[in-house]
Amino acid sequence: MTKLHLVRRTGNTLLRRIICYLAAIAISMGIGAILLLSLGINPLDYYSDMLTVGLIGNKYAYKSVEGFLKVFVPLLMVSMALALSFKMRFWNIGGEGEFLIGAMCAAAIAYRCDGMPGPVVLILMCLAAMISSGLVGLAVAFLKCRFNTNETLVTLMMNYIVLYAVKYIGETKAPWNFFLREDSERPLFAKFPDNAIMPGIMIGRFNLLYSVVISVILTVIIYIYLKYTKQGYEIAVVGDSINTARYAGMKVNGIILRTMFISAALIGLAGAFSASASATVSPSMTNNAGWTGIVVAWLSKLSIPGILVAAFLISLLQYGCLAASLSYPEIDQNFADLMQGMILFAVLMSDFLVTFKIVRRKETES
Amino acid sequence: MADEPYAIELRGICKTFGSIKANRNINLTLKKGEILALLGENGSGKTTLMNMLSGIYTPDAGSVFINGAKVTISSPEDSAKLGIGMVHQHFKLVENFSCADNIWIGARDKGFLLKKDRYKIIEDMASEFGFEIDPRKLVSMMSVSEKQTLEILKVLYYGASVIILDEPTAVLTVQETRKLFDVLRRMKESGHSVIIITHKLNEVMEISDRVAVLRKGEYIDTVVTSETTEKKLTELMVGRKIELNINRPAPNKTKPLLEIRNLTVLNDEGSVAVDDLRFYIRGGEILGVAGIAGSGQKELCEAIAGLRHVERGKIIHKGRNIAGLPPKTIFEAGIAFSFIPEDRLGMGLAPNMSIVDNVILKKYKYGTSPFVDRKSGRVEAEDIVKRYEVVTTSVDAPVRQMSGGNVQKVLLGREINASPNVLITAYPVRGLDINSSYLVYDTLNAQKAKGVGVLFVGEDLDVMMELCDKIMVMCHGRLMGVVRAVNTNKEELGLMMTGALDLVNAKEDKPAGIAVDSALTLEEWEREIEAEDKEVDKND
Repeated sequence: MTKLHLVRRTGNTLLRRIICYLAAIAISMGIGAILLLSLGINPLDYYSDMLTVGLIGNKYAYKSVEGFLKVFVPLLMVSMALALSFKMRFWNIGGEGEFLIGAMCAAAIAYRCDGMPGPVVLILMCLAAMISSGLVGLAVAFLKCRFNTNETLVTLMMNYIVLYAVKYIGETKAPWNFFLREDSERPLFAKFPDNAIMPGIMIGRFNLLYSVVISVILTVIIYIYLKYTKQGYEIAVVGDSINTARYAGMKVNGIILRTMFISAALIGLAGAFSASASATVSPSMTNNAGWTGIVVAWLSKLSIPGILVAAFLISLLQYGCLAASLSYPEIDQNFADLMQGMILFAVLMSDFLVTFKIVRRKETES
Repeated sequence: MADEPYAIELRGICKTFGSIKANRNINLTLKKGEILALLGENGSGKTTLMNMLSGIYTPDAGSVFINGAKVTISSPEDSAKLGIGMVHQHFKLVENFSCADNIWIGARDKGFLLKKDRYKIIEDMASEFGFEIDPRKLVSMMSVSEKQTLEILKVLYYGASVIILDEPTAVLTVQETRKLFDVLRRMKESGHSVIIITHKLNEVMEISDRVAVLRKGEYIDTVVTSETTEKKLTELMVGRKIELNINRPAPNKTKPLLEIRNLTVLNDEGSVAVDDLRFYIRGGEILGVAGIAGSGQKELCEAIAGLRHVERGKIIHKGRNIAGLPPKTIFEAGIAFSFIPEDRLGMGLAPNMSIVDNVILKKYKYGTSPFVDRKSGRVEAEDIVKRYEVVTTSVDAPVRQMSGGNVQKVLLGREINASPNVLITAYPVRGLDINSSYLVYDTLNAQKAKGVGVLFVGEDLDVMMELCDKIMVMCHGRLMGVVRAVNTNKEELGLMMTGALDLVNAKEDKPAGIAVDSALTLEEWEREIEAEDKEVDKND
């Protein structure tokens, strides 16, 4: 008689991990290919468009790169910020809300500081976004430290409060509402004045936004912060064992408050960057970065280099699906979302095979 | 096989976890109506083997025979159906259920409704086996030994004919252990078979019929208890000859280093855990702290280390009151604290971090640089690994991956490297095997020789009587007396631990726990305490 059971794998799993992920992607793309064939589309053409993000044979390739960066930068920043709090075992799933708060506060500065010099406005926007979002993070952490509330529920509900508040502002024509266009009958968020739009370095026709440069620098800083600084060490100890942290004389509540402020402020900054780069705000501007960021942070096991890679690949997938669907009238954004969902699901499932192996049980006859 | 088949027979059992062979080709037999002791060092695979019998793990290879018939145990349910019951080290009970309901929830065939007669049924059954237990009592109100009784009753109720006990005596007093052994003997008479895992050789000699010895995952031998000695068993277990005496060098005492007066501390639930306690430690002596588990030992240690609020009283260290100071200041004053909790990893170590990161835990903040100094931490970690023979793949490996004994060595090594003048160590040999335990005792004696005052909170009275110079006994957080280890015996300590014997005022000229050459004179102390009382009254 044989029986199957699971055994935890040990030893180096990096190679296995990569192989499993690739296999998962291949399987989900195979299923996608069947769907594409049923729609009468050649899957090979579609996938080659998707994987090259519409770069090859495109006169406006630089536009594609800019578009890709608009997806990648917010996701990278949100994932890193979430990793900061996750490392402390503080389940901040309020990325969506914190992102929108940052974006709205930046927008308020943008609308109200028309006429001021560009750099001043931009710096004010970033500060407003970081402080407002950081304070929200601080409030959640305070509730946790003082009343031991469940941060998962608090941050989750906060997402909806913020989302509906933004929708309210976006749909209410009123004299106080300076967020909306004055010249339009329908309620529409106004475009930012020119001094509030993120400038960049022109490389040929490609515009490398300063926000992209800053986010890359921030990645390095956060990596060093978590790995080498005393504060990063404190985060790791608190996350591993609160009792041990107390025993080591750490001020645990202070560390939780500080880290949540930083985490939320970074997400707020991502919101400000995103608003400034697209010159307006909208309730859907997060592009689900607050949710996808959770997946990215976990897929990369909370390591910053891992987040860089995972965020890059997932943005490529998101943007590639979108770019490819543009060239086929039969296909819309929904198919892109479906593909993305299948691939992510398969990758997360394959994680199981990375961690465990299935073995057959032998029984000796006697 | 002419005579009766074995209750349990294991043949060629193997179990591997990743690259670790936890069990290799184990053969074991359990006769009907016998008590078999399972003996082995830490990591020798005893618990793994028993977990396979109780269905928590499935063996990779090998077969299990019960009453001569081959069986497959692939879940705890299978195991229960075959009449095997296990009492785990950590009780698996619902705290806010009564005794009877805890038994009832597992009995699936009893129907959907709770019937009133369940109390009666369980009471009858308890008295049949000679248990003293109130079926209506809530588990949360029970003492450790009552909970254990309930666990045993539970497996008996489910019809177990083979009962496995994993280190049952670790949490019991001498008197409670004796009661447990009476129960085991009665079970044996009624035809049950018992497997008992324990580290304590004297208990093995007392209770078992046969002893099976495992070493490093391999089966060594099964011997008849009456034909062996503690020394022979140790040799089987360790694989070489070993000296079984703990040294107790003559203390080279100094003035009191740490004096504790009228100390009152609350536990997490807000009730009094340490009640008006007083004692002192001199440099160069080891003071044992004995008491039933949960008598305020943890709260006492935490209060001294500054991790728990001091309600009332004083902790005078070298003439300075340290009560209420932050843990960091207390650590820097030379009071080191190593506490091994039940799960061994809960306090003092970050399990998922490396040895290096754990070694720097208490001094990562030194210096003004914003960066952590891992370089000197690495040197220190390597030194600890070498000096205390820590078995690990590297100093960068997570502490969690090491066995319990090695984890404890790292913790103790870190505390001792801080060159403390007072070393508080709670349960340093908890779950350690003989070899590692002796290394810890030697280390503590070396500290004592250096003039360090050692507070040793322990659970094994035999060890405490051999290692400590004096033993302080606590019962429900109260001082029951301080006795010289050479002048006492286990019965006296046991009576004090249960509160039946109070030796605080046994000597007319000197109440226990107050040093004659205290850093403060009696008048000064009284004035201090009075002043504090007034302050408390004012605040109220």
